[in-house]
Amino acid sequence: MSGGTYIDTGYVSLIKYGEQLCGDRVIFAGNEDTRIGVLADGLGSGVKANILATLTAQILATMSVGGMSVEDCVNTIVRTLPECSVRKIAYSTFTLIKIRDQKHVELIRFDNPHTIVLRGGRAIELEHQDRMIDGKKIYESRFEAEVGDVLVVISDGVNFAGLGGAYPFGWGRENAVKYLEDHYDPEMPAQRIASTLAEECYNLYGGKPGDDTTIAVMRLAQPYTVNLMIGPPSSATLDDDMLEAFFSQPGKRIVCGGSTNQLAARYLGNELTASLDYFDSDLPPMYSLEGVDLSTEGAITISRVLDYAGEYLSGTQLHPRWEGKRDGAARIARLLFENATDIHFFVGCAMNPAHQNPNLSLAFGAKFQLIEKLAKRLEEMGKRVTVRFF
Amino acid sequence: MKVTICVGSTCHLLGSRTVVERFKALVEEHQLQDRVELSGKFCMGKCGEGVCVTIDDVTHIIQKEEAEEFFNREILAKAV
Repeated sequence: MSGGTYIDTGYVSLIKYGEQLCGDRVIFAGNEDTRIGVLADGLGSGVKANILATLTAQILATMSVGGMSVEDCVNTIVRTLPECSVRKIAYSTFTLIKIRDQKHVELIRFDNPHTIVLRGGRAIELEHQDRMIDGKKIYESRFEAEVGDVLVVISDGVNFAGLGGAYPFGWGRENAVKYLEDHYDPEMPAQRIASTLAEECYNLYGGKPGDDTTIAVMRLAQPYTVNLMIGPPSSATLDDDMLEAFFSQPGKRIVCGGSTNQLAARYLGNELTASLDYFDSDLPPMYSLEGVDLSTEGAITISRVLDYAGEYLSGTQLHPRWEGKRDGAARIARLLFENATDIHFFVGCAMNPAHQNPNLSLAFGAKFQLIEKLAKRLEEMGKRVTVRFF
Repeated sequence: MKVTICVGSTCHLLGSRTVVERFKALVEEHQLQDRVELSGKFCMGKCGEGVCVTIDDVTHIIQKEEAEEFFNREILAKAV
């Protein structure tokens, strides 16, 4: 259902101080019809917790995508998880969220803190029932989501933030809810909501989290389309096809590459200028072209965006490197990662003779390879992506 | 006098930023702001041997290390 409501997802995990691995695990999965979000919190911390949480999250995500019932999921987890040799139990708490058709929400929770649901910037109470499956008390809630709703799934490390310091027992859920309400902005992307709350927890812990602390966010966003054109077509006879396809699309427009910008300028009949301002010492300056929202150099800039995409997906950054920066790659990253819900690439396949020069030893892959990698990353972020080659 | 420096991918990797910053500093040092106009330019199709610099429509290809020497010879000498 392209063009409909979009489910924007993002998460941040803070690792318990002194540990190398996180004992919380977040997985987003599914497709357009059914989006799944899982947060599992393994017993203990470190490698054992990491394995328990990873298994639990992966089983829940895979089975839910396959349409299996909650009973089946829980049964499978109970039978599959390795038993902790110290505690003699197999245990990972979890929260599973399933959103069908961007509307029907099913929230299943076992021993994780309550999920916070914001509607119009205020937390709402959810109707729920509890039932026992395999001796485990499972919380279940079903409700109809509205556009703008934000679901904030947390691990108990969030509620414990500040423990032993400013708050003897942690700042607690009420304060976390208040923090989210106070910082609510309808435009704020899921990843930023997660990192904002994570940073507050990090500070409350004095920079040394006493527990794995994870925030996973699912947000029902309005669609936002971004079109990106890069590279002249393989033959000049295709120039007009590509330009017409690109400029007839609704949404924001980004043009990458000097030659491609020159094509666009000719098509629009507008003047193209190059700035000499270096906002980043390793990136070429941006261009300016009326009729295009963002005009940049091609291969070097997109390579950087690709690096940023990998970092963004890692779920460990409170502040991405590109935050607040003004260079072309940072601007593209913000548009694609934070704002966009639907992304259309228009990729020209002409070989750039300069990139083939053996004397230069430029480490450029072909542009279309860069874009294929970037498209894959963006799909992992949950974006709806199309790529057309010319 | 109009001086343009290519800021395309290849020239960038060959050091156009160094050339731009050197030129900007030298223009200021010699107080040539009124006489020399610096701007960026797109690929001129002569990639690969050095940074493309155009002075009043004549294209030169220079190495970033010789930016100052080139400036003194081709810009300073002619602009004053």
